[in-house]
Amino acid sequence: MNLWEDNQLAASRRCFLGQSAMGLGAAALAALLPGSARGARQSSAVQGLPELPHFAPKAKRAIYLFMNGAPSQLDLFDYKPKMQALFDIDLPESVRMGQRLTTMTSGQSRFPVAPSKFKFQRYGQSGAWVSELLPHTAKMVDDLAIVRSLHTEAINHDPATTYLCTGHQLPGRASIGSWISYGLGTMNDDLPAFVVMTPAWSSKASAQALFSRLWGSGFLPTTHQGVAMRSNGDPVLFLSNPAGVDAATRRRMLDRVVQFNQRNFESFGDPESQTRIEQFEMAFRMQTSVPALIDIADEPQHLLDMYGPDVRTPGTFAASCLLARRMMEQGVRFVQIFHRGWDQHNNLPSDLALQCKDVDQGGWALIQDLKQRGLLDDTLVFWGGEFGRTIYCQGQLTKENYGRDHHPRCFTIWLAGGGIKPGIVYGETDDFSYNIVDKPIHIHDLNATILHALGVDHRKLTYKHQGLDVRLTGVEAHQPVLDLMT
Amino acid sequence: MIAASRIRMKYISWSILALALVLLAVSLARGDELRDFGRDIRPILSDKCFACHGPDEAQRTGGFRLDQKESALGETDSGARPIVPGDPQASEVFQRITTDDADLRMPPADSHKVLTPDEIERIRQWIAAGAPWKAHWSFVAPVRPAVPPVKRSTWPLNEIDNFILARLEAEGLDPSPAAEKTILLRRVTLDLTGLPPTPDEVQAFLLDNSADAYEKVVDRLLASPRYGEHMARHWLDAARYGDTHGLHLDNYREMWPYRDWAVAAFNRNLPYDQFTIEQLAGDLLDQPTEEQLVATGFNRCHVTTNEGGSIVDEVEVRNVVDRVVTMGTVFMGLTFDCTRCHDHKYDPFTMKDFYSLYAYFNSLDGSPMDDNRKDPAPVLKYATPEQKSQLAALAEEIGQLEAKLDGPMPEVDAAQATWEEAQRREVTAASSGELPASSAVAVNNPPQATPKNQLTVSDWYWVGPFGNDRRYLRSRRHGPEGKQVDLAQKFELATGEKVGWVRKSEWVDGSVHTDLPGELVANFLYRTIRAERAETIKVSLGSDDAIRVYVNDHVVHDNDVDRAVAPDQDVVELKLKPGLNHLLIKIINYQGGAGFYFKITSPQVIVPAEVYDIARRPANEAPPEDRRRLREFYRYNIAESDELKSLHDKMAQKREASLAVDREIATTLIWREKKEPVRARILTRGEYDKPAEEVARRTPASLPMAPRLPNNRLGLAQWMLDPAHPLTARVAVNRFWQQVFGCGIVKTSEDFGSQGEPPTHPELLDWLAVDFRESGWDVKQLMKRLVMSASYRQTSRVTPELWQRDPANRLLARGPRFRLDAEMLRDQALIVSGLLVEKLGGPSVKPPQPAGLWEAVGFVGSNTEHFVADEGPNKVHRRALYTFIKRTSPPPQMTTFDAPSREYCITRRERTNTPLQALVLMNEPQFIEAARALAERTLREANADSAERARYMFRLCVGRAPTFTEVRDLLSGVAEDYAHYQTDRQAAKDLIAIDVAPPEPLDPIELAAWTMAANTLLSLDEVVTKN
Repeated sequence: MNLWEDNQLAASRRCFLGQSAMGLGAAALAALLPGSARGARQSSAVQGLPELPHFAPKAKRAIYLFMNGAPSQLDLFDYKPKMQALFDIDLPESVRMGQRLTTMTSGQSRFPVAPSKFKFQRYGQSGAWVSELLPHTAKMVDDLAIVRSLHTEAINHDPATTYLCTGHQLPGRASIGSWISYGLGTMNDDLPAFVVMTPAWSSKASAQALFSRLWGSGFLPTTHQGVAMRSNGDPVLFLSNPAGVDAATRRRMLDRVVQFNQRNFESFGDPESQTRIEQFEMAFRMQTSVPALIDIADEPQHLLDMYGPDVRTPGTFAASCLLARRMMEQGVRFVQIFHRGWDQHNNLPSDLALQCKDVDQGGWALIQDLKQRGLLDDTLVFWGGEFGRTIYCQGQLTKENYGRDHHPRCFTIWLAGGGIKPGIVYGETDDFSYNIVDKPIHIHDLNATILHALGVDHRKLTYKHQGLDVRLTGVEAHQPVLDLMT
Repeated sequence: MIAASRIRMKYISWSILALALVLLAVSLARGDELRDFGRDIRPILSDKCFACHGPDEAQRTGGFRLDQKESALGETDSGARPIVPGDPQASEVFQRITTDDADLRMPPADSHKVLTPDEIERIRQWIAAGAPWKAHWSFVAPVRPAVPPVKRSTWPLNEIDNFILARLEAEGLDPSPAAEKTILLRRVTLDLTGLPPTPDEVQAFLLDNSADAYEKVVDRLLASPRYGEHMARHWLDAARYGDTHGLHLDNYREMWPYRDWAVAAFNRNLPYDQFTIEQLAGDLLDQPTEEQLVATGFNRCHVTTNEGGSIVDEVEVRNVVDRVVTMGTVFMGLTFDCTRCHDHKYDPFTMKDFYSLYAYFNSLDGSPMDDNRKDPAPVLKYATPEQKSQLAALAEEIGQLEAKLDGPMPEVDAAQATWEEAQRREVTAASSGELPASSAVAVNNPPQATPKNQLTVSDWYWVGPFGNDRRYLRSRRHGPEGKQVDLAQKFELATGEKVGWVRKSEWVDGSVHTDLPGELVANFLYRTIRAERAETIKVSLGSDDAIRVYVNDHVVHDNDVDRAVAPDQDVVELKLKPGLNHLLIKIINYQGGAGFYFKITSPQVIVPAEVYDIARRPANEAPPEDRRRLREFYRYNIAESDELKSLHDKMAQKREASLAVDREIATTLIWREKKEPVRARILTRGEYDKPAEEVARRTPASLPMAPRLPNNRLGLAQWMLDPAHPLTARVAVNRFWQQVFGCGIVKTSEDFGSQGEPPTHPELLDWLAVDFRESGWDVKQLMKRLVMSASYRQTSRVTPELWQRDPANRLLARGPRFRLDAEMLRDQALIVSGLLVEKLGGPSVKPPQPAGLWEAVGFVGSNTEHFVADEGPNKVHRRALYTFIKRTSPPPQMTTFDAPSREYCITRRERTNTPLQALVLMNEPQFIEAARALAERTLREANADSAERARYMFRLCVGRAPTFTEVRDLLSGVAEDYAHYQTDRQAAKDLIAIDVAPPEPLDPIELAAWTMAANTLLSLDEVVTKN
């Protein structure tokens, strides 16, 4: 006797259906389930919280251009002409005030002032100073809110990037994109809500690391973690069918999976089976939607020209910017581009120039492109790094070459688009760009501002974790900077 | 006065509301509605009130706290009484939560907390009922409750079922029927081993109609080594085990012996108390075994950094905090992280308590920085049993050879006497004013050598590491450079530390030394060489990275390279003057490990000064050990004898073999305590540079340690295991319960404090906890009890009514059903396809993953910047437990299914259901490979009948026989795919060529069609789920 052919299963299934409300069909079962979230025919897309947004949002989506390694504010935006006269003079103790330094320079016998070797000029109506390294950015200062008074506590890269991206210096918290996905959900049916790109960079020095925790979901469900969009291989991991499986074959396979899973749902009554069917369907849709997203063949020549020659090379910053715009159009909620290589401890003039060349035109073109399509009105764009750099030189100082150490006391970022006041320069630092003298903004305030633009009260977007209502902006009192907002 | 009159005004509007509430209360009231303080009231007070009226002294307002009875029933600063038992109206608390004066209303608006009408009503009822008070349930030690009686007395199979059924009966619910045997077998096999049952196992179980058929299965599974692998995998999430350091460079960390320790601990059923003690304090046990030391790696699993510029004190604090917080979470379900910066807002723990616990964990005898090494001290070299026996065998052979080499050899001894005579005739002042000679210098062997052309070489001296940027490193003004070496000189490093020259007798010439410290640093080596006359010698050098050589203060060699060290990278001639010569070598390390190699290759005999002295003395005047030393030197370096040569060659072989084994021995991070404990201070706001009051080692005041226990980590571990400790046993059984039932009796398995969820079955939890402890903390017995229960064995089929009633299955009116964990999904695909290579333990392995993932994030120069997949089934087809975890970029096949990055402690995984998971199941190369192997296996093992093949494949994957319809549907799929691949033969070949191993000579079209069938089955809800 072959016991495999036992009738036990069939018998108990009959019994089960008998037990349930007179053999309800699957549809009826599904309809009984509370809330549409679990219903049989609902979308598999990530839903936001019902109470969000907390108020009318100025921006529906956001792009976060992260310059990983910490760009020098002194050589890009925070113009300090008085420093030219102080070349190689020691940084006065009255400025440093005993503040801590990294151990890379704390042992230096001197802290000589290294003035920027780059030319600055005022641009636009706002008259913002921008260095010659960013000629394209300079053209659009009237679209930007340049903030020169951001500050943080972290003094090294790993804790500082983790702090900026997750609100905490140690691993374990949710990233800003995952908070936004969790709170606001997605706006489309076949792409993720939160996408991350990590384009190539040009500086010669060792580049600082990234960590998948920077776009991870921490304690939030992993549904909300950033999906890395790659420039080599599958744009989304495991998106492509294996060799020898075409879309039709995949569809047939899926139809069978659905058929079996549907029966399984009828047998076990677990709505999770229904959800799984929906997720497979969405995966199938992504197999079409993602390649369509990254295929830029339909972009006109003049637009590609605007992004510059790099745009045709997948994996460049410019190409990532163009993809970010395409994602914004298709309802991706949050795109984060991590551009590495901004850690200029030495050879700053040559390496910084290379880095700026990577991002300047693409960033400018992104803003123009969004603007031309009317998307900039409700898309917030951020540009910046995890801290600033020191006025004093690290290593050997000459007029032509110098390096700068980490400086958390002040740094410059810019914001543009949805909800942001265009054409302003906000905050001020002292003559050495060492301490903030006017309108300091903590990184938590910055994150609160970004959330605010998206219609989220940062104090109310919380998640119960380890007994606490954890939020992105920490436990201390922080607030969005309304002066930056329209 | 004004305030009082305002309150009175509010009474009027209040009375209307009160009436409404009374009516509401009447409608709500049921016979059993008496409010339980712990279940119904305390959680509300905790969440909504404790922040300002709780344990945190600094934040407390109003002068009263609601977490303590005395205060809550006493008087506030303003003289009001927060709670008047029996009289809600007289209770200030009730007044303030019901007033509609926004200024008085509690909780205040800026807290963003709101009480729901139901919560307000619950508080009212509770006060009205006399405000019965109980301490928070989890802070009172469990006592074994009576097993409750049940009406349906035949249902329970063990005590668990009485508790579950009693609750179901109280709720008016029936338990579900037992699961079918096939489903039950798959469930229990997955739960105890992480792998599905084989068709043979299913068949055997179906055939076994004995009463204890199921119990026999459970015993078999508990005895399987797979059990330990599966249990350890859960534990490693909590222990935050990973294969890299986790921060910044995220370099490789060699730690897998700890992982294997955990597997073995579960397999040998190490009692949980011992399991706890060994991990927290194995080093403090009396004569700890190697295994017990490996276990202390638990305290070293936290992430570490060596980021340039890091402030060591800050890193140290972070490391220690992680140890304390993890211990609290894992063993006690407490959220100590809160108390790092302030007193706990919800639970009775103060900042002082936190730093008193900190004091147990801040005395690691090692640097807080990981040095970017795989083995930051303290570590243990942990030989496997095979390695140990290999080494023992070699040691024995070496011993025998030594005995021979040490015995009398008449001819050789006679020649030695002649040589000594020659030495004595030479009149040379040997060693005035130079450094002590090295005994570690390799020696060449010209027998005719006379003292005239001998070299006397000192030991190495080392100073460093001098850190700075690349350019400065290359300068010639560094440390001792550019002047004559003075061994008494001290140098200041970039860190401010003062260092001096250190004698390194252990650096033997002719071997590669990789123990130079630091990254982006320069190290200096120095020695003297006495030459009897001017001459030029050849030396062979190696370095990681750049090297510069000075002889008598002149640069004679400078090679600025990036490389790994190896022998003979540079060959350099050194011109020596008669008398003392000074050799200074600078090694610059730019990145990764540092090292050097040095060997004199010229044919001069290098006689250590001491040996030379012995030889010159009359033989009968030298003490025996000197004579032995001289003989050894002579026999190795001067003598000419075929017999000796053969013995020496054999010895060299054996030593090399022994060294080769030794090099393979893994290290693992362990704990070793500093001799003197480091003093601990409260850190204001948790900041490393704001130390305040000094604190002694002490457990939290609310949970004192018995005085008989030693006040160290060992005592701390024993304190947690004391029967009086309210948490440890409960937290442990809850986590094991969660593993099997999908959700803990306390859902928040990481938080048993007042903000955690109260238990659904508090008596059951206590019963299990006490029983677990009294059983001698027997984990296997506990696991057996869980899976033997009728509660566990129910079918997981759910009716719509029951689903509506209890969607999360907290009441267990049905069996558990949830998606398999990431590792189980992969292991299942590998085992059903016959690919799985089962081998316990060993270094972590790297199955393939998409290219570019590590590079996308990796620090340039990290030794985990580039992912190189392993090759061969012995590596790529192991269980997922052994997959290498780079913590800043963990394997995506795992994280997509909610596996954590292991950067921090996790006691409960999310269980999501996403499109990206579908993509992994459909397309991930190893899943495709498994599908193809499963197809091959089916075609090979099942007979040629298609239906039989379908049944065979289905059974392998699903663990039960398919229905007629299922076979039909599967076959129609195969037929369609077959037809398709007939029209596109190349596609079929492409699909089945996925693996490295060429497929067997099967029809590619058939194989491709069945591969798609396997791909279908491995993606099914029923297969990815424990049913």
